[in-house]
Amino acid sequence: MNEDKKIKVLISKLGLDGHDRGAKVVASLFREAGMEVIYLGLYQTPENVVQAALEEDVDVIGLSCLSGEHLTFAPEVTKILQGKEIKDVLVVVGGVIPREDIPEMKDLGIDEVFTAGSLTKDMVGYIRDNVRKQH
Amino acid sequence: MAEENSGMEDAYFEKPKRLETWSGLPVSDRYTPEDVEQIDYQKEIADPGQYPYTRGIHPDMYRGKYWTRREVCGYGTASDTNKRLKFQMAEGVGGLNVILDIPSHMGIDPDHPRAFDEIGVTGCNFCSLEDMEDLVDGIAIDKTSMSLITTSCSTPVILAQYLVVAEKRGIDPSTLRGTIQNDPVHFRYCGFRTAVPLKLALKTGVDSIEYTARNMPHWYNTTVNMYDLREQGIDAPQEVAFGLGMAMCYIDGALERGLKIDQFAPRMAFYCSSHVDFFEEVAKLRAARKLWAKILKEKYGAQDPRSLKFRFAVHTAGCSLVPQQPLNNIIRVAYQAMAAVLAGVQSLHCCSYDEPIALPTEEAQLLALRTQQILAYETGVARVADPLGGSYYVESLTGVIEKKAEEILAQIEELGGMYEAMRTEWIDKEMEKAALKRQKELEESKQITVGVNAFVSEAEKETPGGVHRIPAETTEIQVKRVRELKERRDNTKVRNALEAVSRKADQGEKANLMPEIIDAVKAYATLGEIVGTMREAYGYSYDPLKVIENPFK
Repeated sequence: MNEDKKIKVLISKLGLDGHDRGAKVVASLFREAGMEVIYLGLYQTPENVVQAALEEDVDVIGLSCLSGEHLTFAPEVTKILQGKEIKDVLVVVGGVIPREDIPEMKDLGIDEVFTAGSLTKDMVGYIRDNVRKQH
Repeated sequence: MAEENSGMEDAYFEKPKRLETWSGLPVSDRYTPEDVEQIDYQKEIADPGQYPYTRGIHPDMYRGKYWTRREVCGYGTASDTNKRLKFQMAEGVGGLNVILDIPSHMGIDPDHPRAFDEIGVTGCNFCSLEDMEDLVDGIAIDKTSMSLITTSCSTPVILAQYLVVAEKRGIDPSTLRGTIQNDPVHFRYCGFRTAVPLKLALKTGVDSIEYTARNMPHWYNTTVNMYDLREQGIDAPQEVAFGLGMAMCYIDGALERGLKIDQFAPRMAFYCSSHVDFFEEVAKLRAARKLWAKILKEKYGAQDPRSLKFRFAVHTAGCSLVPQQPLNNIIRVAYQAMAAVLAGVQSLHCCSYDEPIALPTEEAQLLALRTQQILAYETGVARVADPLGGSYYVESLTGVIEKKAEEILAQIEELGGMYEAMRTEWIDKEMEKAALKRQKELEESKQITVGVNAFVSEAEKETPGGVHRIPAETTEIQVKRVRELKERRDNTKVRNALEAVSRKADQGEKANLMPEIIDAVKAYATLGEIVGTMREAYGYSYDPLKVIENPFK
């Protein structure tokens, strides 16, 4: 893979949660950090997200969860990816998430979690260090 | 040990770096009589209880009545929420404040395929009259001020449910106190655009205003939600301008229905934010009060002094709280609450410190209530009306925010008014710009948040006080319940009632659907069915998510 190629990120909301300010801000800041961002928007299902990720051939899926979807719909996304044996897409989740839930989320295949109050430089740094590897 | 102490000299001599307010308003190092000499006290400020009410809407302020201590509450089923309400009442709240879950805001039933795993998660699930009965079970609603946070096209249905429960208990609706909040228009900025098409949102909002203004004199017909707008990242003057712009949409709509301004303006209210910049928030609330009085008097020709009084609740700023070192949020909330009280708030919700982590635990919510009680009973701040009035700084800043907000309102007017500013998505762009600006200020440390970009410590593994979990069986219970109800009820009656809603809607957008919705609720039509019927009647898809079809067609 050409390392100079822009990192391609899909950012999406999941379920009916309407809190989309964070997702939109992160999308803009990732673009400014030199990534190619596809913002899928509100009311997405795990199936939609994976389908769009495959069609767009993204390196990263970023899911925004502020109403409890981090333990319901987000693990569905990783389950579908695992079912399709897709191992080179990094899945990160951001939002309102109790720290206590992070180990379980990681067990379910989510690569990293950024809670509210996270800074873009930390997210961008994590993505650059971990993207395009087998997970 | 010289190395360990190397930062001490810098720490000792450290000075504040940011010399402007949170909103970016420049401020001087001191304020003197010169800064206020242009301000005519009688005309621009006046005593508390006097036009333009800059100093508050009551001459004696809290000596007449404390602000209403409320804590937003809602999770799981209506029975779950009822338990939390009873806990709050036992601990000394002054009013109740209940929020709906996402499917109820959206106007879909628990048996909708997309409602699964969403039920009761971020509020209480309301589907039929049965849920409202459970919510207020054992609560004397004739003696309780109830705020039902419904701000979508579900508003008239939830209002109808509350009215039918009152009627069943033999309570005269004209004696009920509280609010349905009822600001469906603003909800387009809270991720619910599909559920609140602009025209329909305004229509349902105005239906509730008209109905309650004519029938429920103690009921606040609208609570314009400036808080939710502020949470999108906009600044203090924008919060005031966008909120007042929104209020004017409802006023214009109500006037078109033939109501006189003084028939409904006295019972319009506002829900404001109290953010983290202390004096800016005090000044903002004072400026909003003054602007409202001027607009009502000069633009709308209101005669009744009650129409000119900006009545407001405050929700401390959820977006100012962070999950890092979460106990720090207790302090943020306390300062924000004090700003609200010093600005003359009528009703207050203090956030719980664990809100950036999950819905609050009972203990965290109790602490938020205790924050209000310490403020009310111990600090003495409630003793004197507008104690910051006359401060060179506060009066000057109030004037600056008023002027800024007026400039934004003039800009909105040039765009053709707030409705047009929303329709053309000018407001959206302003919000997106503002949100990005806020985040960049944080990233670049132009704005400090302790625990995030300063005084950072290692992330906690666990939340102090634990995490509130929604009962896992909520979805199952609510789905089963609505399916059984749909089997059990008289479906011919339901069909007829829904057809009546539809026929009334055929008379046009100004036809008030409230009486027909009340009848439909009595027939145990569900929230999803009534909202869907209403949507279809006005040319929208039955289902806001376009997944299901109208089962009665």
